[in-house]
Amino acid sequence: MSEEETNTPGADVPHQAAAPDENGTGIASGPGGSGPGGSGPGAEALRVEGISKRFGPVTALRDINLHVRAGEVLGLLGDNGAGKSTLIKIITGFHRPDSGRIVIGGEEVSLRSVAHARSLGVETVYQDLALVDELPVYLNFFLNKELTAGPFLRHGAMRRQAVDALAEVGISIPSVGAEVRALSGGQRQAIAVARAVNTAAKVLLLDEPLAAMGAREGGQILRLIDRLRQRGDLAIILIAHNYSQVIDVCDRVNLLQHGEITFDRPTAETSVAELLELVHAEYRMA
Amino acid sequence: MSGSIAGQEFPSAPATAGPEGGSLERRSVLRALGLGGGAALAATALAACGSSRNSSSTGSIGDFPKTSAWKFAFINHVTTNSFFAPTQSGMKDAASLLGLPAPTWTGSENGVVSEMVSAFETAISANVAGIAIPLTDSNAFIAPTKAALAAGIPVIAYNANASGNYALAYVGQDLYQSGYQMGLKIATEVTSGDILVGISQPGSLNVQPRLDGLKAALAAKAPGVTVHTVDTGAAQAGELSAMESAYQGLKAAKGIYAVDAGSTASIAEMISKYGIKGQVHAGGYDLLADSITGVSSGALDFTIDQSAYLQGFLPVLYMFMYRMTGTLVFPPATDTGLTFVTSENVSPYASSKSWIEGGATKALVPMPGSIGLPAPSTVQS
Amino acid sequence: MAQQTPQLTRSAPPAPAARTGFGKGLLRRRELSIVLVAIAAFAYFSLGSYGSAFNTTNNYHIIMQYFAPWAIIAAGESMLLICGEIDLSAGFTFSFIPFVFMSFYNQGLDVPLSLVLAVLVAMGIGLVNGVIRTVFNLASFITTLGMGFFLEGMTYIQSGAEPAQPPITGTLGDLLGDWRWSELGWALIIVAVMQAALSYTKYGVYAQAAGGNPLSAAESGIKVNRVKVATFTLTSLFAGLAGLVDQVRVGSFDPTSGGSDMMFMSVAAAVIGGTALLGGSGTVIGALFGAILLAIIKEGFTLSGVSAYAFDVVIGIAVVAAMLLNVYISSLRGRYLR
Repeated sequence: MSEEETNTPGADVPHQAAAPDENGTGIASGPGGSGPGGSGPGAEALRVEGISKRFGPVTALRDINLHVRAGEVLGLLGDNGAGKSTLIKIITGFHRPDSGRIVIGGEEVSLRSVAHARSLGVETVYQDLALVDELPVYLNFFLNKELTAGPFLRHGAMRRQAVDALAEVGISIPSVGAEVRALSGGQRQAIAVARAVNTAAKVLLLDEPLAAMGAREGGQILRLIDRLRQRGDLAIILIAHNYSQVIDVCDRVNLLQHGEITFDRPTAETSVAELLELVHAEYRMA
Repeated sequence: MSGSIAGQEFPSAPATAGPEGGSLERRSVLRALGLGGGAALAATALAACGSSRNSSSTGSIGDFPKTSAWKFAFINHVTTNSFFAPTQSGMKDAASLLGLPAPTWTGSENGVVSEMVSAFETAISANVAGIAIPLTDSNAFIAPTKAALAAGIPVIAYNANASGNYALAYVGQDLYQSGYQMGLKIATEVTSGDILVGISQPGSLNVQPRLDGLKAALAAKAPGVTVHTVDTGAAQAGELSAMESAYQGLKAAKGIYAVDAGSTASIAEMISKYGIKGQVHAGGYDLLADSITGVSSGALDFTIDQSAYLQGFLPVLYMFMYRMTGTLVFPPATDTGLTFVTSENVSPYASSKSWIEGGATKALVPMPGSIGLPAPSTVQS
Repeated sequence: MAQQTPQLTRSAPPAPAARTGFGKGLLRRRELSIVLVAIAAFAYFSLGSYGSAFNTTNNYHIIMQYFAPWAIIAAGESMLLICGEIDLSAGFTFSFIPFVFMSFYNQGLDVPLSLVLAVLVAMGIGLVNGVIRTVFNLASFITTLGMGFFLEGMTYIQSGAEPAQPPITGTLGDLLGDWRWSELGWALIIVAVMQAALSYTKYGVYAQAAGGNPLSAAESGIKVNRVKVATFTLTSLFAGLAGLVDQVRVGSFDPTSGGSDMMFMSVAAAVIGGTALLGGSGTVIGALFGAILLAIIKEGFTLSGVSAYAFDVVIGIAVVAAMLLNVYISSLRGRYLR
């Protein structure tokens, strides 16, 4: 399929996604990364097949099939309560699925814990950001991965590395020693994302990163995600509610309904209107 | 802008006021001083309420030589317990009689020994003229007593005594004996069955010996009686609840007694409340209002007067004499008495509300026309 | 004049120049305000009419007698508060452990072994508190309240409601309270160790995370429950140690010692020193100074002869006044540092 111009219907943020240059790869992958850092999505980083999960009488996920490649941003949409967070938690090792398989980097795995998933390169940034307000930026950055010399923390080394890691992802924070509670929503999100990226992740999951954020800061986060996509080595799954933002930054979009992925299309081939129609169709009176 | 007063809330435009926002700083410092100073003034005013730092004149009194305004310190184990209100009256009366400032009254509210030790040592630190303390623990007060004596401060024990200690004298009731006498009295009324005995601070040397004496007397004279001890705690409100609960659990008790003031008052209250006057024997210690009412109404068979007033009055007198005479008048050990107050002799206690027994009236109490015979004297041989 | 336009979005005006690194570092420490208030209280009594009596070594020793047990227990309580928990049984552990020691001793074991066993029992108490809290998800307030009552009764049973004389003598005795400053040594060492743990080890970070945002901590993979159980164990250990050392110093194991008052003063010292009641942040050194402040106030007014009835009134007002000063200094600090 040939590349097409990305639809940019009335976005509330300046359109910042990469320009959809033709790259002639012939792969249906939407606007591929054309800037420095890669030439389109690479190998498949994560695939899940047949995932199901029940909590007591409630079936959260019925039969989930999803895949994402390195250098690709996959948008995961779905109504509240559709099961998106549950899916994220399964991929990240927090819950175990009742059935199905998870394949990371081509190898099937059975995730024992969050730490195990992390060691395989799967990192998540939760809605609540998993930040501790009372701790400074650099300690949050290294939360549960602190650098130590014997039993003692290496505060200096952690500070320096935090500064470097944040700079690498293009974020500037006035002081890494400041408590996180003093930062704005956008800065906190950025730190949480940078922290996840820092641990050599292969798969990065972002759960509603733009929730409760103003237009300007939301735009900053989208630019950050785009920069990460351009690195080419990260597969990113993005859960969001603002469909126009999703269209802007994602290569492909999945729709989670009734515990299944009912829609899987490159964003170049769909539009906000179509997505809205799909989601709302089930609420329309017969 | 930095001109107006209203605009001084935030350090705005620091470039205008010099490198450190000078005027804001000064203002803040002054405020801090003012606040601190105000707090200090308030505290001083309050401290002045509490303590009597009014230096008295040091003119001689009576026919005695002139002395300085000696300040004595009374340490106590239950400083806010109403039993000791007459003790405080006694100590203040003696001080005023002798032209001295009122002694201080510190220690612990709940019988905590380490607090009493700290108060004792603080009194030594403050170089008081004499210290009176109930020896509610056998060991803890030995070192401080030695330190006080080494610094030339006389120490007198009152209300509670302990062996192996070095106070110059003990002014109070012989606790074991009083318990023993009470046990003998109980044995005349209850010869078998169960009795409840309330004690506010088990293990504490100001009451435990009474319980020990009581049990010993019963073991000797009425071995068929089983003693059930009830721990009532030092706070008076809790003592009533404790006695009530114990009684509910043992309605068959033939007698309900107590070895401390608060528990005794609680028993009197309880017996009136449940209307079991006359159905059960009862008695205890000391002269709290409820206990006196109890004896008058017949709820209690007796209560024991250990003259709390004298336990405050006499130590002051003794320490004064000791100091004034440069140790020539050594304080004598004094038994402040064991008087059984029964329905026969309760009326002056009940009617006078005298400050001697913790009441409010400081009036002359008239003598009865004739005096009832005391118990016959005994001499140890 | 190059006046800067007020910028609505900027949170910090350019910091005024010429504030030395050390000075600013000192200002940053949250403990600064409580230290200043403690110094103010000390000055108040030193310069008062009882100043000469206040400033003697003996008097300092008495002040130490007040604050040392509070500081030792507060070293644990402040860490617990940071974790978002509390231990209401600490004062009763204080009373109970010496009699546990006496039980072992009276059964024929020698002093050192009895001490070790008593200390292990203290840790066991904390372990039980922590396990009940984490496994059954029962609020620590309730859990430790129940444990407190339980220990109170056990203390009476173990002691037979009678005080006992500590049989510890010699060098061990000196270490454990007979040497008059040994309790101070214990307090300083324990506070230093716990502050180092808080500031310089992973445990300290985990404790703050567990109290500040337990969900975030768990999501990051921190074993929140383990951190809490460890902290409960430490607190009861310190309470038991404080009970032994303090009562050896006094020369009497007393069933009426410690209790809820002791626990309350320790928690108050921690909170006054700068540990948030709701968790997430705190300081152990601050708790030490909080205890020192409370001791100075209590001892100072006893020294100047405030009689018992008015005593609590005076203490109450003094504490509130001191805390107002504390809050005020903190806000000054905050403005200076912005």
